[in-house]
Amino acid sequence: MKKTLLVAICFLVLTAIPAQAQMNDTETPRPLVDAYDSLADTILAAKKTEWNLVHSILASTYGHAEAVMNSAMTKLEAAGDASADVEKLAALVAQMGNEGDASIAAVRKRLLEGGHHHNAKGEEQGIYDEGFVIVTRASKKVFLDSATRIGKLGSSASKDALTGEWDTVKKEFRKLHAGTPLGM
Amino acid sequence: MMDRQKGRWTLAAFPILLFAQCTPVPPGEATNLEPTAFHFVDVAAAAGMTRVLHAGRPGKDHLLDSAGTGAAWLDYDRDGHLDAYLVNGWKLAGNVVLEKGSNALYRNRGDGTFEDVTELAGVGGEGAWGSGVAVADYDDDGWVDILVTNFGANVLYRNRGDGTFENVAREAGVEAVGWNTGASFFDADADGHLDLYIAAYIEATLDDVVGAERTLDWKGVDSVAFGPFGLTGALDHFFLSNGDGTFRDATDRAGMRDRARGYGFGTRAADFDADGDLDLYVANDSDANYLYRNEGGGKFKETGLWSGAAFDANGAAQAGMGVAVGDVNRDLVPDLFVTNFAEDFSTLYIGEGRGFFRDASDDSAIGAATFLPLSWGTVLSDLDNDGDDDLVIANGHIYPQVDDHPRFGMTYVQRNQVFANLGNGHFKEVSDQAGPGFALARSSRGVAAGDYDNDGDVDLLITSLDEPPALLRNDSSLRSWLSVVCRVPAGQGGVIGTRVEIEVGGRRMSRDVSSGGSFLSAHDPRLHFGLGSADHVDRVTVHWLDGTTSIETGVRGNRFLVIDKRP
Repeated sequence: MKKTLLVAICFLVLTAIPAQAQMNDTETPRPLVDAYDSLADTILAAKKTEWNLVHSILASTYGHAEAVMNSAMTKLEAAGDASADVEKLAALVAQMGNEGDASIAAVRKRLLEGGHHHNAKGEEQGIYDEGFVIVTRASKKVFLDSATRIGKLGSSASKDALTGEWDTVKKEFRKLHAGTPLGM
Repeated sequence: MMDRQKGRWTLAAFPILLFAQCTPVPPGEATNLEPTAFHFVDVAAAAGMTRVLHAGRPGKDHLLDSAGTGAAWLDYDRDGHLDAYLVNGWKLAGNVVLEKGSNALYRNRGDGTFEDVTELAGVGGEGAWGSGVAVADYDDDGWVDILVTNFGANVLYRNRGDGTFENVAREAGVEAVGWNTGASFFDADADGHLDLYIAAYIEATLDDVVGAERTLDWKGVDSVAFGPFGLTGALDHFFLSNGDGTFRDATDRAGMRDRARGYGFGTRAADFDADGDLDLYVANDSDANYLYRNEGGGKFKETGLWSGAAFDANGAAQAGMGVAVGDVNRDLVPDLFVTNFAEDFSTLYIGEGRGFFRDASDDSAIGAATFLPLSWGTVLSDLDNDGDDDLVIANGHIYPQVDDHPRFGMTYVQRNQVFANLGNGHFKEVSDQAGPGFALARSSRGVAAGDYDNDGDVDLLITSLDEPPALLRNDSSLRSWLSVVCRVPAGQGGVIGTRVEIEVGGRRMSRDVSSGGSFLSAHDPRLHFGLGSADHVDRVTVHWLDGTTSIETGVRGNRFLVIDKRP
């Protein structure tokens, strides 16, 4: 689809170039340069859009986790059973570490299949896992370790223990939230 | 009697001689001692196992050329001797199919040799490019059946009980055309009928395979088979039994949809959280591994990401191939071992209870020793009968081209590895001291463990690319043992998942009857326990899947103990 569109644009641009202009100049014709420049805007914007979208996914997961955390705390304050919430919280924190759930991982894999690496340089440097956009390897480990600890709390979770873990998650998320997209 | 040529004691004389030779060492007290001598000898050719297992083209242009096939131990004729089943691939030259390799069923004659009964039994594989094998009495008629996973339609060989089989995969609803790999039968919904999980690798057509060219750049020095990155992961399947010998696809309903499209290989069902039902672990190549926790009623929740079993200790996805389950630190909590790609360590996940795990690869001394090889089939089993689980790993690279670049320190054919458990979950590699069986260098894949000669030790059946199998007879210096054979009456869900706990001198050990595991392979369903020099077991407790138990006390060692579940 994209390829067809690109070919069509090039065809239109080429047919619009006056023959005189082509003959008198060894430079790439201006309309082609402009078209490519415009396409570059689109490509770069897409990368920025990808960052924003993944950021939204993370923020949404964090928001969900925060709500579950509050629900768990309410139950614990009332001496109720918070184990279901605690487990859900563990799953959501793990998803933050994995930069989305399994469905998102499948999309990420599809992008990699197409040769798209959002943080190619960062991957080479060992900062990011393949295809990851925002969550660094270091942050991933913090989230995953915290998720496991939360999961282990299970039905014996106390307010203090849960709050302690949530503080870890909150701090790590804020760190990522404050980050700027690499190379933009 | 002693076969002097083989230097091996027969079963009849075994217990008496054993007691005369051993000094008292209770099981589980070998911590930090030097491991008992391991000695394995390849007797495949002498035993009659000569079928070459084909694997595509010599250059391994497509990943299917190098994925290999599995092996299984089963007693299909119920004569008390383990028979062997081997899955075969195709042989190609360029894009020409030279031979569609036949699978092989070897009947154990009971004298250490095997008879090829493939044609007689009708289990050659239907001309498919084979992948894995799982065995179970899926229709509960008392005869063990064979599931062969294929690149193409799966084959389900129903055992007619007269030495012959029929392929009923289509009628049973489990053909699931695709690149199918590891499979596990288990009763997921506790309805008394075995259900089935089949992992799948990548989406590919036969045209993709035969027309493949090596286009992946390997370290900037060569071109090798492309993938799995860049190829679409195929969806795994979960089939729920209808109770009448047929199945229905219940993948979504069970919560087992392969949403990440993981490149699935090894599978293993076990009760990881000790809540009485069977969970499922799936090793994914280059993706997070799955741990499906059984929620009851045929529903599962994927807990891999936060249970500690999806990634390594650094949070990185590895290239999961094979799976072994055991209890390496003897705390009665199941541990997991997952083999991975070259230049990455294989991972020992120590069970911490309630379905949680921690990566102990470094602590156990397994990490460094497994970093360079490319690892596949694996077994945790007590190979020297000293009361703890030792570890076997089958190795072999997927790119023959690595041999052209020795500076990277890798070879296409590799030696398999054996690690002695020092008694506390720490391991010591003893491959160099484990006899000629572990000196073989091949590109190995599947490993199935089983005591084929009924002499009280665990032997190993290993598949390799473009080679006949290796049958590593265990000639280790042995201590005492007990093998427990669990049997369940028809219609009660079968024996898979049954857990046996024994108590010897105040120490307890646990094993479960598995389906799946290793890489594309199936182990001896009898549960083998090493007893050190103890001559008896104080107590044997069988935990059946329905929650009932059977207990036997004061059990004499060095024998096969049959325990039938009461109806």
